[in-house]
Amino acid sequence: MPCSPNDRPLSRVVPKPHGGLVGLLLCLVVMGIALCSSSGGARAQGAPAAVDCVIQTGPCTKTLADGTVTLDITPKPVRAMRDLTFTVTFSRVKAAHDPVIDLGMPGMIMGPNRVILKRAGDTTYQGTGVIVRCPSGRRTWKATVSVPGTGSAEFVFDVVY
Amino acid sequence: MVGFGHCVGMCGPLAVSLSLSLRQGKVLIPHLLYHAGRITTYALLGAVVGLTGSFTGVASRIAGIQKGVMIFAGVLIILMGLAMVGWIPLGRIFTDSFRPIGFFSRAFRRLNAAPSPEACYPVGLVLGLLPCGPVYTALVAAARAGMESGEPLQGMFTGLWLMIAFGLGTVPALLLLGRIAGLGWLTKREVIYRLSSVLMVALGVYFIVKAVLF
Repeated sequence: MPCSPNDRPLSRVVPKPHGGLVGLLLCLVVMGIALCSSSGGARAQGAPAAVDCVIQTGPCTKTLADGTVTLDITPKPVRAMRDLTFTVTFSRVKAAHDPVIDLGMPGMIMGPNRVILKRAGDTTYQGTGVIVRCPSGRRTWKATVSVPGTGSAEFVFDVVY
Repeated sequence: MVGFGHCVGMCGPLAVSLSLSLRQGKVLIPHLLYHAGRITTYALLGAVVGLTGSFTGVASRIAGIQKGVMIFAGVLIILMGLAMVGWIPLGRIFTDSFRPIGFFSRAFRRLNAAPSPEACYPVGLVLGLLPCGPVYTALVAAARAGMESGEPLQGMFTGLWLMIAFGLGTVPALLLLGRIAGLGWLTKREVIYRLSSVLMVALGVYFIVKAVLF
């Protein structure tokens, strides 16, 4: 590549550095904010940060209104980046419309990931979805089952990568 | 704009490193080209998942490539950091005065052949394959939209445009960070510049470690 008349010796090519340092420090500050928000955001948002459902061994049940909601995910083990079947079973819970499941990581925004459920029985709904993999290595995910006209139940569990 | 902190925290180091490697005051066009490359890759992935209606099928095929891209990104940041202060005789990778020598000349020959800063576009194409949670989520949505469209061709365009929209949403945060990193309004002090170089090397190592563990 031909030399430019404005070329300077490499050893003298030291442009003003502080913009770069400002940028890196800004990046580190924002990363720190992002990390802090990911650890404390769950509590700030009122969502459970601790795992309360061992989905790898079987379904989990939560109380909703005067009844219960049971969530199961298959196949086992529940792996990220695989097509999964989500099964929701209600007991003494009435849904005005088909319920939905919103998948996310506690305290970390991963974008909207909704599983649409369809009736598969009198009190059972099923749908397919994918739990994506987070490059951070975190494996804890949250499934929020929203029942129109009644409320929602949250399940926090670990997946396998 | 989903996950402002997510984007800046994960891809911010790349944006900052790119600014540090560019000539002072000329960071906007290279960054725009870099982001155009990223969005092009997102669009292509969106088209494929929209056409096939399957995210997992595509994701499983590119998983190995993504690991390699993450390692490449880490190596690139390290090289840019070391070259920035002349600790390796590589020059500044994306400047007009770059003359590759030795082993690295083969690896960067294509970039060198392209007049700077146009080289930022192919770099963006490659780094668009970096594994990223929000990108995966957007691709899941693109696959679902493609599946629901009923027609493979319609699904392909739906997935493509959805991912372009997602990519455009990631640009403001990273562009702002890159612009800030390209400013040089403080007094020149080489020790601070060298510190920036050390931080870049550390960030590059972090990327490589993350890639190995991914």
